[in-house]
Amino acid sequence: MQLIKKKRTRELLLIWFFIAPSLAIFTLYRIVPLLWNGVLSLQFWSPYKLPEFAKLYHYEEMLFYDDAFWQALWNTIILMASAPIGIALALFIAVLVDTQVRGRNIYRTIVFMSYPVMTVAVGIIWQWLYNEKVGLINYVLISLGIIDRGIPFLESFDLALPCVIVASIWQVIGFYMIILLSGLQNIPPSLYESAAIDGATAWMRFQRITLPLLKPSIFLCFVIGIINSFTNFDLVYVMTQGGPGHATDLLITYIYTVAFKLSKFDYAAAMTIVNFLFFLGLALLANKAAGGEAGAIDVGK
Amino acid sequence: MKIDRTLTWVFGAFFALAIIFGTATAQAEKTLTVLTWNIPYFQDGFTKWVTDFNKIHPDIKIERLDKKGTEWSTFYQTQVVAGTAPDIIDVQGGLWLEYAAKGGLVDLTSYLKRDQDYTKRIYPEILKGWVYDGRNYGVPLYISKTLLFYNKLMFKEAGLTEPPKSFDELLEYARKMSKGEKSGFMTLNFDWLYWPLLAMNGVELLTPDLKKAAFNTPKTVEVLEALAKATQEGAINKISWTGRWVEPNGAFAAGTIGMLHAHAPAFLWFKSKAPWVNEDTVGATHIPGGWSTPNSHSMLISKSCKYPDAAWDFVKIATSGEGAYALGVGTNNLTGDKIVNEQLFEYFTKNIPAVVPVLKTQLEYLDKLCGNWPAAKDAEIKEAFYPELQSALLGQKSAKAALADAEKKVNRVLRKR
Amino acid sequence: MHKYPHWPIHLVLVFVSALMLVPFIWVFKTSLTGENIFSYPPSILPKDPHFFYYVDVWYTIPFFRYLVNSVIVSAIVVVANIILNAMAGYSLTREFVGKKAIIVLYLSCMMIPFQVTIIPAYLITKELGLLNTHLGMALPVCSTIVCIFVFKASFDAIPKSLIDAARIDGMPDWKIVFRLMLPLSKSAIATNVILAFIWSWNNFLWPLVIIRDQNMQTLPLGLSRFLTVVEDTTGALYAFCIMVLLPGLIIFLLSQKEFIAGLTKGAAKG
Repeated sequence: MQLIKKKRTRELLLIWFFIAPSLAIFTLYRIVPLLWNGVLSLQFWSPYKLPEFAKLYHYEEMLFYDDAFWQALWNTIILMASAPIGIALALFIAVLVDTQVRGRNIYRTIVFMSYPVMTVAVGIIWQWLYNEKVGLINYVLISLGIIDRGIPFLESFDLALPCVIVASIWQVIGFYMIILLSGLQNIPPSLYESAAIDGATAWMRFQRITLPLLKPSIFLCFVIGIINSFTNFDLVYVMTQGGPGHATDLLITYIYTVAFKLSKFDYAAAMTIVNFLFFLGLALLANKAAGGEAGAIDVGK
Repeated sequence: MKIDRTLTWVFGAFFALAIIFGTATAQAEKTLTVLTWNIPYFQDGFTKWVTDFNKIHPDIKIERLDKKGTEWSTFYQTQVVAGTAPDIIDVQGGLWLEYAAKGGLVDLTSYLKRDQDYTKRIYPEILKGWVYDGRNYGVPLYISKTLLFYNKLMFKEAGLTEPPKSFDELLEYARKMSKGEKSGFMTLNFDWLYWPLLAMNGVELLTPDLKKAAFNTPKTVEVLEALAKATQEGAINKISWTGRWVEPNGAFAAGTIGMLHAHAPAFLWFKSKAPWVNEDTVGATHIPGGWSTPNSHSMLISKSCKYPDAAWDFVKIATSGEGAYALGVGTNNLTGDKIVNEQLFEYFTKNIPAVVPVLKTQLEYLDKLCGNWPAAKDAEIKEAFYPELQSALLGQKSAKAALADAEKKVNRVLRKR
Repeated sequence: MHKYPHWPIHLVLVFVSALMLVPFIWVFKTSLTGENIFSYPPSILPKDPHFFYYVDVWYTIPFFRYLVNSVIVSAIVVVANIILNAMAGYSLTREFVGKKAIIVLYLSCMMIPFQVTIIPAYLITKELGLLNTHLGMALPVCSTIVCIFVFKASFDAIPKSLIDAARIDGMPDWKIVFRLMLPLSKSAIATNVILAFIWSWNNFLWPLVIIRDQNMQTLPLGLSRFLTVVEDTTGALYAFCIMVLLPGLIIFLLSQKEFIAGLTKGAAKG
């Protein structure tokens, strides 16, 4: 008995010891800031004065009087809902480049290349692509005779957000692809081979082997994509700064504007908390619906 | 395997070395930190400032920082919270109002009163642009305000000979010059730069006591509708309402814009992109009525500064006399010092003659400055007002509805804490 | 082997690649010509291309010094990520009390975007005495949740029989992680390296906020020099972006072989 207990304790010690360093970093740089925001959201605070207790003033302001907040929340939800498109595309491409086609290295590299580019360059180029008068997209559309006047993509209240989403998918597709490729590596090729020998077609192999075994990676992509939607600050900020009006403002860009351009850190903190709780709630719900955590499937079985 | 091991060792060594070198050292001497706004290429002039400053204060070291406009306030405010705010700051537009209103800046009124040899060199109309609540917080570092650039080639093509003399003429000319990829009119929109279009029609943003919105009038509705219509038709390029700097100026440089409403620095920027720009092809004039929004840069002192008197000496060096001249030459701008500007005009006439007509406009109509209200909540008011204006200009809402919503929002901003 | 035609795959991939490349072509073209991207009509071929802008970038900013700083910071981040994430990923493959809570905690950390943490992170870094240092720039990203889960997925895919065999042989747990499991997770390591490198290499706002000493700046911070109001720096700006992009690409290319199916798995099993 004693031996088993000791072994389990040693095991537990090791497990916690292994979690400790990353946990420490997250505590310092994510959790503590979150708590700071929490405290701040209940105060009237400025860098030059002592804080005063504000109760729920900021929350009231945000939820009842701030149109921009609701617009930003709605925009973030839309961005979130579009994540599956990017993931599906990335999955499609990942599976294709995972086959034995010649030059798959090149394809893989080309698709991936968009990800490490500095967002500033991505933003400027896409602004140009979408330009109403001199942009490439309108040029092509007009040359093909599909339209006769340029479409003001980024200046239109209705089209701006979808356009930003397209640019965002372009940028992030390489990232999803890498995660999925990594997951595809975890599937032993022997499974494919034995299935091929048994006479399974490519589509059947995809359905019966790839998809189920890739589920953890797909789920991971999903989670990342969703979270990316409300933390993806850079591209929106460079392309449209949340405009026109607040049509492309995400919660995170709006929070940033309020904090650093309007110097209202206390109000921004309140929005941060709401942002966090809302999406945490969503995540927990989704988790329940999916029946458990991002678990893996034991290949040995 | 061997490569793996070697790589591991290399990485490990890097890691260890990095941690060893990862310790900060503290500064024990007297320092004043200067934070400039997007002028990293301004080196020699800054060195001159430091040399001149050290003649009076040999014991104080000057630390220089420079940040681009988009990150400037993020950086500055983080430093303020951390208690290490830069002492002397170069601020664009109306951002300083927030800091002044919250007590974050040193009041310079007594210094200005005391040092009359300095103060009498500065344009009084410009100097009062940094007065809040009766106190003067800043002095001009370099000055600029909006003007109307026009593409003489596009004018000729449309059969026009002179720049427009009224609002209606402006819109009419814009229409005449717009076709295909060309637009008749473009304006910058940040920091209230578009305001002259409204001011020339008698629109006021706020009541004189700055307590209530005053813009929701039938006249404003009329003006807004006219602007929106011109935008819909493409006579006013839509980027006027959504672009920042590169897009509007880049478009003018590409020769596709008939009239550009921007401030003086735009000239040298788009000229550097467009070899076709010269006195025969691009004209510089005032918008009808002579109204303009200033977008000058000022120098201010943070409240946390430990040596405000010394800081004030630095500010004087940078904004007047030889120091100001160095800045003017180094950044191709006019300064707040009357005498220095005369010298600068001589310099520009000799070295960059093309920019002289542009710079001349900067010192005319100083009584028709608009678009800068000494309101503490300037940024918030802008946030409440501009998106509504955009929605009307880009056809999302009717002008009437947009202005009504804007009025509600602006009044709320002014009323609440 | 697999009996399906390759040409439809090629067709699709070529189409996708072309779409993905369009923005690139323009960035690259403009870096060679510095032309006004707002001129009309747009042309795909560069007029008078030259490499002058690339040279310009090298001299306009202290490129080499920034490069060295970036390399040091990224090296710290990559190494730290591999070690810390592998450790955490391993722990998540075991069962223990509080595992669910940790996972929820990790996921919620992912939902705290960097921008809302700037001020407290700065204050914390100040307390740790790490302002203006490479370690200070590296610390907040020394571990990332995404990569922890990538490792977890990879570890979960290792046959339990192998691990049990090693246990029975008396191998201590830490050895199992670093000597047995890690070598079998080459693609997870590669993913970690690529992502950690890119995130730290392109990191702009954090170094901007904590570095006051010009000599400590990293590469992305040099960007500001090409976005001034006074001069036209489009060509140099794009050349700069391409130059900053290259190391990330190189790292990706170097780890290509980790993504080739079959090779690693086969070798390990033998």
